[in-house]
Amino acid sequence: MMRRIYGLLSSVKLAMGLLIAILISCVVGVTIFRGERAWELIFNSLWFNGLLVLLVLNVAFCFFGRIWGRKVTLISLGMILFHLSFVTILVGIVYNSFFYFRGTIRLTESETLPNADPMSYDVINHGRFFDLSRLKGNTTLIKMHRGYKVDGTDKRAGYEIEVGEGIFKKQDIIYVTHHLEYRGFKYFNDKEGYSLLIILYDKLGRELYGGHVPLQSFKQKDETYLYSTGTKEEGPGGLAYPQDPVKPLFGLQATYEPSKFTERAGDTIFTVWPLVVPDEHKAETLPDHGAGQKPDAPDPHANMKKEDMAAAHSDGKKTGTVATEKPLAEGKVPIGKKIRVGDYYLEAREVRYWVAMSVRYDPGQPIVLASLWIGLGGMVITFIGRIRRSRI
Amino acid sequence: MKPELVCFWTAVGLYGISTFSYLFGIIAKYEKLFMVGLFSALAGFIPHTAAIALRWKAGGIEPFITISESITFGIFTTMLIFLVFQFTIKKVRPLGVLVMPVAFVLLGWAGTLMKDVATQLAPALQSWWLWVHIIGATTGFGSVLMAAGLGLFYILKEKKSGGIYDKLPDLQALDNLSYRFVAGGFIMYGLMIISGAYWSNTVKGSYWAWDPVEVWSLISWLIYGIYLHLRITFGWRGRKLALYSLVAVVVMIVSYWGVPFSMETFHSGFRIEH
Repeated sequence: MMRRIYGLLSSVKLAMGLLIAILISCVVGVTIFRGERAWELIFNSLWFNGLLVLLVLNVAFCFFGRIWGRKVTLISLGMILFHLSFVTILVGIVYNSFFYFRGTIRLTESETLPNADPMSYDVINHGRFFDLSRLKGNTTLIKMHRGYKVDGTDKRAGYEIEVGEGIFKKQDIIYVTHHLEYRGFKYFNDKEGYSLLIILYDKLGRELYGGHVPLQSFKQKDETYLYSTGTKEEGPGGLAYPQDPVKPLFGLQATYEPSKFTERAGDTIFTVWPLVVPDEHKAETLPDHGAGQKPDAPDPHANMKKEDMAAAHSDGKKTGTVATEKPLAEGKVPIGKKIRVGDYYLEAREVRYWVAMSVRYDPGQPIVLASLWIGLGGMVITFIGRIRRSRI
Repeated sequence: MKPELVCFWTAVGLYGISTFSYLFGIIAKYEKLFMVGLFSALAGFIPHTAAIALRWKAGGIEPFITISESITFGIFTTMLIFLVFQFTIKKVRPLGVLVMPVAFVLLGWAGTLMKDVATQLAPALQSWWLWVHIIGATTGFGSVLMAAGLGLFYILKEKKSGGIYDKLPDLQALDNLSYRFVAGGFIMYGLMIISGAYWSNTVKGSYWAWDPVEVWSLISWLIYGIYLHLRITFGWRGRKLALYSLVAVVVMIVSYWGVPFSMETFHSGFRIEH
């Protein structure tokens, strides 16, 4: 039985069959199926990854079984390195799959989130043996630098962040070609957007509630961007306002038009709808005065949970909490000016940036990357060896 | 008309003359036309180089960012390999029969896709790794195109004799030359993939994401990996591999410029959402 398995694994026909099978799968994955569908059906499937693993095992048995004991020449040395690199790549990938961590953390300027709390991340994935306690301290977004330049070269955006705890904090500005590494965790910049601090006043001008509302960017036909509440998937839309856990009063869509001349200035277009609150949507009642978050507090959206921010956009038309009929009020006002909505006033007091960063821990990655270069080196050595042999 | 465009279209024109010289040379079996083809190609290479240099100077950024620039630079490298091979080895005079039509058509196509010179390189591409990546890709393409050209003459020489065919190297030599170009192309494609993976890891934290461009480059690499295994492990030689190299180069052209640039991927510029 073992002999038959060894015979199968060390078969050169199996190697060729696997190469062709992988090739065909790849062609199908970029022609018949594409994007997410190809990822689901092929590239992330068990059978395809099984093919890759089988190929590596086949390489190990087939190649090394044949070359074992033979005299090492320049050509065979190159081939050994090339085929060995496949095996070590697999080792790196498998090792990484057990211990990796990947998360997307989203912060508004001045916001701090604990690294070890899974709720700090919009998206989180980790390997079976990854220990969450490896995530130490907090992450703070100090500032988003638009048009960030390094040695006169435009890097478009730089995220000034601080990561860590106590005296072991690390601060840096990350940009597209520069990440921050803290205890093996790498922070990469991903995307950023505007966030409006929207304040609710009663008719006497007293502040009732305040919170940052992150906006999404929507590319327009004329290549410009619209910055509005809504979701990437469903487009611009409204959200229930005020947000959980405070009882919402109406549906609100806020659209920001940045000033062409002054950073963080411009106009806000408010559109307010009457709210349809489903029965199951029970939330705290808004107290008369001073409820919610005081807008002049040090961290204006400290009361705003991360999941509320993320869910804010999906609380809109999709769930039926915002009626889509005629708006109660709409209008365009500069940042810092109020607009009347029935017995209330709304104001977009300030503009901040939110950023999303990719946080990664990949302990197997150095093995994979080193193996790639070793494999290339093997190819070059074999090539040189063959040229030399043909000249002899 | 801008000097850059004058140079560019002059190059296209001269490559066109070269193409027809080679094609008529092979049809009429008139060897002198190959020399006309070769020197037209050399004459075209000069304004081709000038067009790239002028564009590079005008924009100040690497001259292979847009699809038009990428094709132009890819053909530039291919022509460089072709001319060096023709003027040093001097063994396969009619090789331009395959190389020049490909160069002519692709460069003409690049001309129709040409856009204004960009003055800013996407931040994600600001690295010398980009050079390694592009040199690997273009040299790899040039090499496998040469291999396909040699494969074509292997097939022709096998079937026909007399005249120009007698002056070609023997079948064994054509086969070996083709194999060497494939092996070289395979290495350069390896360099392209590895440098791309390495750079992607620096920018995004992941070296491989199965995006269409990555998969197409893997397809190209696998195709030539299979070629090498068929030759080394299974002992394939001659006609079968010559045919294989001709089919493979078509896949190369599709994977290199046809499909990836029609999709919005990392290669279309690192798309940043505000």
